[in-house]
Amino acid sequence: MKAEVVSAHKGGMWAWLFQRITAVLLIVCLAIHLLFTHILNIGELDYENVANRLAHGTLTAVDIILLAAALYHALNGFRMVLMDYWFTSRTRALALTVVLWVVGVAFMAYGTWALWPWIS
Amino acid sequence: MPDIKFRVKRQDPGDNNNPEAHWEEYTVHYEGENLTVLEGLFYIQEKFDGSLSFRFCCRASVCGSCAMYINGAYRLACQTNVKHLDTDLITVAPMPHLPLVKDLVVNMDEFFAKYEYVMPWLVRHSPDPEKEIIQSPKERKKIDMPVDCILCGSCYSSCPSVWSLGASLGSKSEEYYLGPAALLKAYRFEVDSRDEGGKERIARWNNERGIYRCHTIMNCVEACPKELNPTEGIQWLKRAAVRRKLFRKAK
Ligand code: SF4
Ligand code: FES
Repeated sequence: MKAEVVSAHKGGMWAWLFQRITAVLLIVCLAIHLLFTHILNIGELDYENVANRLAHGTLTAVDIILLAAALYHALNGFRMVLMDYWFTSRTRALALTVVLWVVGVAFMAYGTWALWPWIS
Repeated sequence: MPDIKFRVKRQDPGDNNNPEAHWEEYTVHYEGENLTVLEGLFYIQEKFDGSLSFRFCCRASVCGSCAMYINGAYRLACQTNVKHLDTDLITVAPMPHLPLVKDLVVNMDEFFAKYEYVMPWLVRHSPDPEKEIIQSPKERKKIDMPVDCILCGSCYSSCPSVWSLGASLGSKSEEYYLGPAALLKAYRFEVDSRDEGGKERIARWNNERGIYRCHTIMNCVEACPKELNPTEGIQWLKRAAVRRKLFRKAK
């Protein structure tokens, strides 16, 4: 008996590459984020202090990039795990990818909305 | 004349009276200093039980038929001298995670179908040269490692990415991970300076059931009785995919 192995799967290079890129972004942005949130001029943990810190354009930008990178890295990692198990066929994998994108974009929108007063 | 005990995992799924797996013990006599596990199995087959099934062919670790799980590791039975195992009990089991045929024989159909799928042959488009295709020593060096693969299946049997896509989950076989051996073969030809088949071959390994199911667990590196490094080959393929798709490189 000869097993048939023709597969419908195509590509995967971009997801792999972005997983690496977001990993690097995570290291950099997370370091900056932690530094400014917990080590440098912490002050009282009240609305005004936090708002002042976020008023710096660069810090807000770092936070937005951090959010995007963390979301991509986490959801794509999750996708990779699930694709090892039940989401093996191209159709199932595609459905999974679409659902995770929707979740990711929703979280991204929510996070950006929370930061909006300082962005605009 | 030394004696050594063999504990062999026996199972005949086709035997209705006793289809379950069980261990049997045999005492093997041998003359002189050396005994390979394969010779021990011959002895058992001749002296105790002619129905013991196992694969072998070359007896010189070049054909890859006799890979088994011996004393807790993937080993070639013909390459393993009992002396080097440093014990008086040899346990021999079939390669785990593969469908069992009988005793130490496993079904390798999927394994070889996946191997064939990656086009493990030299593809040429330019006209044949008059004599041989020249390759520099440096270029030859690149295939030194992968060219030694004897397709024994140890790496494939040891890889959790291969197991996790088991039939028990109801997925179709064409969606299973290709596995380290097939991808190492793909690498062997992709990295070869004489090969021109990259364009056709890449779609076969650059996908979610090819290189991207490798999570660098590296069981294959530990398992390989030829001490090859399939993970290194797969990582090279991942970089090659980026080089080719993004920078339009040929290799
Ligand atoms: S890479 Fe090593 S373990 Fe895998 S099939 Fe080849 S020789 Fe066997
Ligand atoms: S019999 Fe050929 S590798 Fe052992």
